[in-house]
Amino acid sequence: MKTLFAAAAIGALAAAPALAQDASVAGSPPDAPYQKVSDLVPLPDFLPGMGQLFVDPATLPAGPFMAYDRDGQLVSTIYMIPLSAMNADTAFDNLAAPGGNVDHVDIYFNAGHPGVEEPHEHIVLWHVSVGDESRVAE
Amino acid sequence: MRRREFLWGGGSIAAALPLLPGLASAAPAAEITMTGRRDGSRVWFDPYGVLIRPGQTIRWINRDPANAHTATAYAPANFDHPRRIPGGAAAFDSGYLLTDEAFEVTLEVPGVYDYYCIPHELSGMVGRIVVAPPGADGFADYPAGDLDPVILNGFPPVADILQAGKVRHEEG
Repeated sequence: MKTLFAAAAIGALAAAPALAQDASVAGSPPDAPYQKVSDLVPLPDFLPGMGQLFVDPATLPAGPFMAYDRDGQLVSTIYMIPLSAMNADTAFDNLAAPGGNVDHVDIYFNAGHPGVEEPHEHIVLWHVSVGDESRVAE
Repeated sequence: MRRREFLWGGGSIAAALPLLPGLASAAPAAEITMTGRRDGSRVWFDPYGVLIRPGQTIRWINRDPANAHTATAYAPANFDHPRRIPGGAAAFDSGYLLTDEAFEVTLEVPGVYDYYCIPHELSGMVGRIVVAPPGADGFADYPAGDLDPVILNGFPPVADILQAGKVRHEEG
């Protein structure tokens, strides 16, 4: 019986469709309403470790922020969740996820920056491999 | 490298005079770096406690490649914050400094100057400058209660600054 369940599970995974990437965000700059973060707030145009960021201002602070490498290729989708919003009375539902397949996820603390000026968590959906994170390292 | 230099004159020519050639203070400018971890999880001023002489210039420079910072005095004029600068001293505010940009201010009035970084105040990115003539004492910490404990914990004790001259961040 266990073998049957395992086979069924593997079959379901194999049949699962790849997450589709929205063509409007595939390359930099993404289509409106996304705007370059460095045009909205005083931040460097390219952030080491993240890349060049774009966001729809109407979605702040959570995002998604779409991050691109120096060749304009999408590398990650980032959500920024203030610690003050992590409580029983706050939820972030149905956040957009236009970036397509996710290779792996990073979650880490950020002390704040212009645009999200309070301590928050970065939730990073990487669309590239761990090794390819180096494309936005510098 | 982009660089923007500011000279804060407090709105008066007299305040700027000490920086004119031939009239400059004998003491060199004291430099404070704005920096942090690469992932932005911690940010700080280094040193975050500094002792200078009256008329000496303080220079902040942003060496953080991934963030903008400010040096903003605690004063009602700056976003209605409590006053933590000496009576008679004018409030300073660098505005946002991007990577490698700098800001200078010359402090004339003896006393304790507390300041903060606008986007990182709630993460404890604050600093303290003591302006004192040689041998002077009688300077004290400001009473607690006007700021969040996370912020208050970011200030080095005045006594430590007077004793060491500089107080550095543990990761600095």
